[in-house]
Amino acid sequence: MSNFFTVYHHLFDVFLIGSGYALSQWVVMRAGVFSVATAGLASIGAYCAAILTTKLGWPHPLSILAGTLLGALTGLLLSVPLARLRGVFQAIATLAFVQIVVAIGLFSDSLTGGAIGLNAIPILIGTKENLLALLCTIYVMLAISATRVGRAFEAIRQDEAVASSLGVSVTFHQSLAFGLSGAIAGLFGGLEAFQTFTLFPNTYGFGLIVAALSYVVLGGRRSVAGPIVGTAILLILPEVSRPLADYRNALYGVIMMLVIAFMPRGIVDTGLLYFRRRRLAAKAAMESQQ
Amino acid sequence: MLAQQLLNGLVVGGVYALFALGFTLVFGIHHLMNLAHGAVFMTGAFVALYTVLAGMPLWLGFVFAILACGLLSILIEVTAFRRLRKSGEAEFGAIISTLGAELIIVTFAQIVSGSDVLRFPFETFPVEIFEFAGLRVTLLQLFMLVSSLLLMLILTYYLYRTPLGTRIRSVSGNERASVLSGVNPNIIYYQTFFLSGALAGAAGVLIGLSFNSIQFAMGEPFLLRGFVVVVLGGMGSIPGAMVAGLLLGMLQTLTAAYLPAGLTDAIIFSLLFVILLVRPYGLFGKETAGAMRAER
Repeated sequence: MSNFFTVYHHLFDVFLIGSGYALSQWVVMRAGVFSVATAGLASIGAYCAAILTTKLGWPHPLSILAGTLLGALTGLLLSVPLARLRGVFQAIATLAFVQIVVAIGLFSDSLTGGAIGLNAIPILIGTKENLLALLCTIYVMLAISATRVGRAFEAIRQDEAVASSLGVSVTFHQSLAFGLSGAIAGLFGGLEAFQTFTLFPNTYGFGLIVAALSYVVLGGRRSVAGPIVGTAILLILPEVSRPLADYRNALYGVIMMLVIAFMPRGIVDTGLLYFRRRRLAAKAAMESQQ
Repeated sequence: MLAQQLLNGLVVGGVYALFALGFTLVFGIHHLMNLAHGAVFMTGAFVALYTVLAGMPLWLGFVFAILACGLLSILIEVTAFRRLRKSGEAEFGAIISTLGAELIIVTFAQIVSGSDVLRFPFETFPVEIFEFAGLRVTLLQLFMLVSSLLLMLILTYYLYRTPLGTRIRSVSGNERASVLSGVNPNIIYYQTFFLSGALAGAAGVLIGLSFNSIQFAMGEPFLLRGFVVVVLGGMGSIPGAMVAGLLLGMLQTLTAAYLPAGLTDAIIFSLLFVILLVRPYGLFGKETAGAMRAER
């Protein structure tokens, strides 16, 4: 077992960070916002943390905290203009945001190192910290789901008009979701910064957008387990079958097309629904017998 | 100097317009976003390149590219859209499934090309430079400008002056009503996707010739710029896409020429963000284009 762990150690770290990004993507989609800003927010968190430590000598927990807060703040600020837009237009606007972040990262090379990358970041974060961060995030998400805010998210996602007619403020809750998404993306961006040695602006570009979206779509958009299961499947599948590794992206593509066509709720949510229906059917059968 | 830059911008802008037309055509008529459009564009450049490398003339490569991309686009319609259209959640689903299609096509191209940057053989397109009124124009630039304008004219004629175009526009207005009056919507979908893919393929060949560097990831920056053109012109507006394409081309060459290198992308995408906030229906789109729509 310990041998297994050393072999797949790195993959496990990638999975933990990926799950973090997936949760950041999930929380906005859960509130009915079609944002793809996660990549840009993660970039801001990662660069903020790395720059504070390498250039100003801040201790790394403080830098990561600063990255998290900056991510949350950016998310909140972003939500103000985006409240005017809906659907596809929100997606395009946040896509533009991600591209702006990449372009600024490439341009301001005195601060970010530009295309050469921000180098010599000390490696201070390991699996333990990643796991702790992911578990805390999951706990917070579960806690939120059980409150009024979580139910408001659900209502807005299902029908915005009904939600606002019931006195749920759409703008407020979507801003909250953006802030949460920014905080999670900033946190995991900061964590990632301290385990990669070098940061490149393009790491947090279109590719990460596609990855985070596909994790959530494959896993499911309702339950907290969805994005995590989605990340696990998409990351582990190319590893267990080595010949497929060259075709990793094509495999992602095939999975995305098949899942959205045949299982649009995602694997976890479809499974949960199936078991719930079966339980209800069994209960109904029992009652009709009596 | 300024006039020269504007001219160069006009040439690139013509290709942007060509690329974005196909994108906006599908959005305007079917209200669906085809994110695999960049991959279709890339396929166009590849098909033309491999035709030329196989020893055939360039014009044949152009024809093959247009046909292949049109058919590829139809394939995307059948595999990525058809099922979703019936489910009713097509707006979100289409984005995911066409992203999937894009990944598949790009990976395939990456494997075929071995991740290399490929080039057309020297003098595939004759290098000739004309000078008039102090401006320098290459034959290729003239060809690009003329062929983009020509293709745009043909598309406009097809849509607004032929019975087939009338049918396409009727499906765009109200699909159910047009089915009742005897239009088979599947044939319309084939036509719009073929046209859309053909335009992307033509744009791919033109860009492949002019930059002479063809690689599997070349579609992505064009897809992202396609968003700018389509939003600036107004989602689904054909004249809007033409004007916005030309504007974007000129803006890009001007910022690249007069501002520090590397700022171009920041400016272009900030422009996209601002347009979406201030005027989400673009220059030519109608206010009901859907940006403010509350339903999802």
